[in-house]
Amino acid sequence: MSEKIKEILGEDAEVAFAERRYALISEILPRILKGVRPLTRSDLLDKALLNKYLGIPIFLALWWALFRFTFDVSAPFSDLIRMFLSKLGEISRVSISNQQLASFVADGVFGGLGGVLGFLPPIFFLFLGLAVLEDSGYLARAAFVVDRIMYKLGLHGKSFIPMLIGFGCNIPGVMATRTIDKEEDRILTILVNPLMSCSARLPVYVLIGSAVLGGYAAAGIYSMYVLGIVLAVLMALLFRRVIPYFKGKPSPFILELPMYARPTLRGTFSHMWERGVLFLKKAGTIIFLGIIVVWFLSSYPWEAVHHGDNFLLENSYLAMLGKGIEPIFRPLGFNWMGAVALFFGFIAKEIVVGTFATLFGLAAGGTGEVIPALRVSGIFTPLTGLAFMAFTLIYIPCIATIAVIHRETASWGWTIFAVVYGLILAYVVALAIVGVGGLFGHV
Amino acid sequence: MVAKIPLTMLSENEEAVIVKVNGGMGLTRRLSEMGFTYGAKVKVLHSSPPGPILVVVRGSRIALGRGVAMKIMVSLEADA
Amino acid sequence: MIIRVAVIGNPNVGKTLIFNNLTGGRAHVGNWPGKTVEKKEGKCLHKGVEMQIIDLPGTYSLTANSIDELVARNFIVEEKPDVVIDIVDASNLERNLYLTLQLLELEANVVIALNKYDVAKDLGYEIDVKEVSTLLGAPAILTVATTKEGMEELKDVVMGAAKVKDGKRQFLISYGKRFDELILRLVCVLQKDEELSSKYPITWLAIKILEADEEILKLVDKSPCKHEIINQLLETKT
Repeated sequence: MSEKIKEILGEDAEVAFAERRYALISEILPRILKGVRPLTRSDLLDKALLNKYLGIPIFLALWWALFRFTFDVSAPFSDLIRMFLSKLGEISRVSISNQQLASFVADGVFGGLGGVLGFLPPIFFLFLGLAVLEDSGYLARAAFVVDRIMYKLGLHGKSFIPMLIGFGCNIPGVMATRTIDKEEDRILTILVNPLMSCSARLPVYVLIGSAVLGGYAAAGIYSMYVLGIVLAVLMALLFRRVIPYFKGKPSPFILELPMYARPTLRGTFSHMWERGVLFLKKAGTIIFLGIIVVWFLSSYPWEAVHHGDNFLLENSYLAMLGKGIEPIFRPLGFNWMGAVALFFGFIAKEIVVGTFATLFGLAAGGTGEVIPALRVSGIFTPLTGLAFMAFTLIYIPCIATIAVIHRETASWGWTIFAVVYGLILAYVVALAIVGVGGLFGHV
Repeated sequence: MVAKIPLTMLSENEEAVIVKVNGGMGLTRRLSEMGFTYGAKVKVLHSSPPGPILVVVRGSRIALGRGVAMKIMVSLEADA
Repeated sequence: MIIRVAVIGNPNVGKTLIFNNLTGGRAHVGNWPGKTVEKKEGKCLHKGVEMQIIDLPGTYSLTANSIDELVARNFIVEEKPDVVIDIVDASNLERNLYLTLQLLELEANVVIALNKYDVAKDLGYEIDVKEVSTLLGAPAILTVATTKEGMEELKDVVMGAAKVKDGKRQFLISYGKRFDELILRLVCVLQKDEELSSKYPITWLAIKILEADEEILKLVDKSPCKHEIINQLLETKT
């Protein structure tokens, strides 16, 4: 029917109304507003920040500063929290007589709380940093500066911010896609967001990298980030070309650049708090429950596992699970322990290190003790270790991310697609790493 | 004679008046809501192709992708 | 008595902060039914009266172009909140007023909060608040959300506005002879459709039809008056 109306009224009709409204505003304006807005400090600042040559380097520097700030400042808090909860765990272990209950409280509950609350500081600091960037008005400039590159990659300029946030955590990254108007662009951005290596994966890289890559550990870890970006770009281009839903160009880039403003303490903190609490409620509960599940599967059947003074993990349900899925991973060179770790990484990447600790019979304290244990165990060779890191990068984001993806896409179809393509891609890439490495004589 | 040129052809700090907005229905409407209507003054603040272009329109700073900006036709001659 | 207040405004006007100021930072966050758009609700107790505050998506306009706009528009039309606070960026008045006009045409009970007034002053602007109220037919307040300046006054005005909800004069914009005539004709026709005329403001409906608004046209398509509407339009075709 709209076609008919437009036909009758002529093409200009629809804008005629907008024009008339603005004409009215132009009439009213002089009567309510005095003064003229000169070239402001904002505009001058923009001259620098949007500069053709300076724009991107400035942006990269700010972003790097954001992450540095987030992780460096939050690390002591995280350590404090983990130490504190670990202490509480130990106290409860010795004060509860019933062994199973003691283990449940010390390892399950306090272990779980340590896992969840331990990563709260980086999350909150990340949100704080983002709030500052957003409230100051800079974030819009960042989108402006990267749009030209994004457009070539088949993505919208506004996709970049969510992807960058994804490096901190995929959950706020997916949530940040709300600023993208066109649904197709938004879903595409959501689908590739998990390929941005979130901060939870870093401990896994550090663990495996330090254990088996020796001097190349840093390079190996860095390559994961690069790999993530490369894959995200490839997948975006691929999806746009192959999936009919995404065919067509990204929606037009129209973005208002607000004036720069000094972020207020109150405003910024309230933004940070709002998002942090939401994240805690959603992700926190799931991860906590996940850790309890790991505890249960690794501690039972009780008698078999706790035979005498020994902690025989091989007899646990966890091991049975691992051995069950091991065949799938054998071509990649992962044994049942790796399989189990990956399985629980599905719940939350934060759990992977803890799972390895449990597998080696260590208390879930710090990565420190697990690294040598992993090295000594010989589960991974440098090549399979790298493949494992890649698998961790690519496969399904944690359950909490899946939940958020479902919420943001309001579609089980896309959610399942995200999970499945992640699994397939992870397997293929890991296999490729092992395969290509094998060709070069590595094992 | 009023010469119509696309917004993208303006240089930084140049000012012009909008005479026509081409483009699919959705785009025209969106732009008009943002203030890009016939007779509106636009001033280019920042333009470095192929990146987006930053203009001032009705007191707001709006960034437009090149493709969008090319559809906005302006005239450098002042209104009578 | 509970007053239902919707909060709306362009992006970047400080809407979140004002919402937080009103609700004390305690909000219930969910989704609009069936949509992926976030819905925030909170409460505000002022001088013994409870106000239920609903945060509508930040939007530049109320067309059918995007989900955000539709959600906001549908809420105002269907839920008919007692008051709609339109948060306007005082340092960016011109474009912000576009949404204000749309709200007035929608016959919402508008209270205008001219926020970021401190920024406007810094830029050398002077705003005649009384004139704004007079010209637009809606009470207007100057606010600075970051310092909570004007918030108490805002609450007072909102309460006052809720009381006169149904006594408002219609805000009419002239769209030129041709369209004004068309609007009148369509209004006559639409009045015959009881369902539509009881649910929506008729003049607004007529304008939306002429703007070829997709969502409204879907409704009109099912109306018994459909053909008469088309006839009216054809009659005036030059």
